[in-house]
Amino acid sequence: MIPYEKRFFLARWVSNLGLFFAAVVELVRHLPLYLTIGGRNLVQAKRRALLLGGALALVTVLFIVFDGLVSGASQSMTHSVRTLISGDVNVAGFYKQTPDSFAAPIVLHAADIRKIATESTPGVDYILTRDRGFAQVFSDTTTSFTGLSGVDPKEETRLLKTLTLAPEKDYEKGGGDQRKGDLSKLGTPHTIVIFAGEAKRWGVEVGDVVTIVNPTLNGTQNSLDLTVVAICDDLGLLSQFSSFVSNQTISDLYQLKPDITGAVQIYLKNIDDSTQVMNHLRHVYAAKGYRLVDHESTPFWRKIQEQTQESWSGQKLDVTTWEDEASMFTSIIKGEHWFGGFLLAVLLAIIMVGIINAMWISVRERTGEIGTLRAIGMSRSRVLAMFIAEAGLLGLIAGGVGALVGTAISLAADAAHLHISVAALRMFLLSETYTLYITVPAVLGAVVGFTVITVVAALWPALRAANLQPVTAIQQVE
Amino acid sequence: MAASMGTRREKRAAMARIVEIENVVKEYPLGHLSVRALNGVSLHIDAGEFTSIAGPSGSGKTTLLNLIGCVDVATSGDVRVDGESTGSLGDRALTNLRLHKIGFIFQTFNLVAVLDVYQNVEFPLLLQGGLSKREREARVHDVVEKVGLAAQVRQRPSELSGGQRQRVAIGRALVTRPRLVLADEPTANLDSKTGATILDTMKELNKAGTTFIFSTHDPHVMSRADRVIELADGMIVGSGQEAA
Repeated sequence: MIPYEKRFFLARWVSNLGLFFAAVVELVRHLPLYLTIGGRNLVQAKRRALLLGGALALVTVLFIVFDGLVSGASQSMTHSVRTLISGDVNVAGFYKQTPDSFAAPIVLHAADIRKIATESTPGVDYILTRDRGFAQVFSDTTTSFTGLSGVDPKEETRLLKTLTLAPEKDYEKGGGDQRKGDLSKLGTPHTIVIFAGEAKRWGVEVGDVVTIVNPTLNGTQNSLDLTVVAICDDLGLLSQFSSFVSNQTISDLYQLKPDITGAVQIYLKNIDDSTQVMNHLRHVYAAKGYRLVDHESTPFWRKIQEQTQESWSGQKLDVTTWEDEASMFTSIIKGEHWFGGFLLAVLLAIIMVGIINAMWISVRERTGEIGTLRAIGMSRSRVLAMFIAEAGLLGLIAGGVGALVGTAISLAADAAHLHISVAALRMFLLSETYTLYITVPAVLGAVVGFTVITVVAALWPALRAANLQPVTAIQQVE
Repeated sequence: MAASMGTRREKRAAMARIVEIENVVKEYPLGHLSVRALNGVSLHIDAGEFTSIAGPSGSGKTTLLNLIGCVDVATSGDVRVDGESTGSLGDRALTNLRLHKIGFIFQTFNLVAVLDVYQNVEFPLLLQGGLSKREREARVHDVVEKVGLAAQVRQRPSELSGGQRQRVAIGRALVTRPRLVLADEPTANLDSKTGATILDTMKELNKAGTTFIFSTHDPHVMSRADRVIELADGMIVGSGQEAA
């Protein structure tokens, strides 16, 4: 048996819910009338409406701009990851000569692996093979580290379309707008293509020679001299640690035999299918007798130590998605979403208290009017509809204005390609410049969302107004 | 035979009665105490009457009107409006009764400030539903002409004089063609000349068939009523017929 108090509480909620749905139906039936009343009431209490609407619009602007920044970071990250280090799906792996030896991030019999991928991948756009490496770089002035991608220029049509030469001023003090270098030399043996941030850090320009040093698979140190043939515009944070060399350079550096590669990178027609395709390929390779590393959403280089410590030998394949390879960055993006969500929640809580307060005042001020309307035959649901319309209108106008201003600011900031001067912020936004990505659904969603939030905040005082006894309300006037 | 004749007469009489109040008590809580605003009131009002409820402040006039107008319910006793016992009706049924059968005129006009004259008068018709826009327009213009505000239809209440506002309130009360109009001190906030004009308007509409019950403590206003019901301390202390 439910206690009386609980039954009463429950019955009240059910009644209020019924009232709310009846109010929505009423609103739909006589929308112009309720909007007229709501609009004029807002105009009548214009100071309060302006303050509240202004605060709501400001929160909407902040939301749009922040969402644009996070989406921009996400877009930059996806673009740079898919350009620099990963396909949508990758078939890579580790090779160990003995159970105790180092797990080299290489794939033997690359042609066979690629053939299976070509034959078994649904929705494939194109496939390419890239060698992977990591080396210490020595220039005339400094030493640094870079990730190396060994490319075959014949396969890298998309990469060549994406990369653009950077103006000299981006990496050299006193440099001009001239864009030096030749991207057609990408993948030529003993050359290296780097990015502006790296060129600045290493103190090099086109034509300079750098030395890369790394141990071979046998453990002996090996070095190569490479000529910088092109310096490209940065592609997000990742390009600070990425450079392109030829397949042959990687083979020479690590002293690899032919038919060995770093990864078969598969690009799909629909990137959203990545996980599905990865799972499919894992089954395909397993069915053909290949051993597979357990799926883990971390980049390949973070698995090297773990695989080295495991006691196995020979080849194991590792099939991953671009999200796995970018998991460090996706964590940042997720963190940004959480941070933004938290900030928004705090701001919204403040705004909601403001709305509730303003609606309480409105209900108090208009108690007599409510009594009159109830006396002339206005039902409770219609009183509720009247207040919902007013709150909804306020939310819609404020949200709309905020969304327009937020979109304008975002588009202007994105078009200006403003450089992010604070290093921590560059890390946070995964980009060298302020990149804001605005979509129509996000903007419309913000307007609808803020309107709904305003209505929800107004619901409590509005329900109180609707539940006022007519005689009590009339007495407020008299 | 005589008995059945008597029953038929009683039924006809009941049909003509728009308000029947039997031994009504209304108490309001006041802290731990309760204040008795009406104390065993019984009265009948026939359709077409122009009745005044008179009495000093605190005599229970407004309480009685609130009970007849279904905005409040009696603590005990029976209030019947147009044959329906209001004590047994729920909120929705009471709202419908007010919407379809009763018109209200308040001492302080109580118009919706943000709506113009036309919209204020049209509002109850929108609540009622069932009429097309053209029908509503015709009905509103008819009523607005009757109360003499045809030239002010697009003005808001704040742009009107007190008398004009009360005319809007009368128009709003009449537009649904209710069987009964309740007016709580309709001339109290008006000067005597304007008050007299408002009463003239009400009287004219009464001649057309609408029942009016209005409260007042002004002897000039009382003198215009067909019948005056006098209240004091929550009880009827006199009921007299006057020549209007």
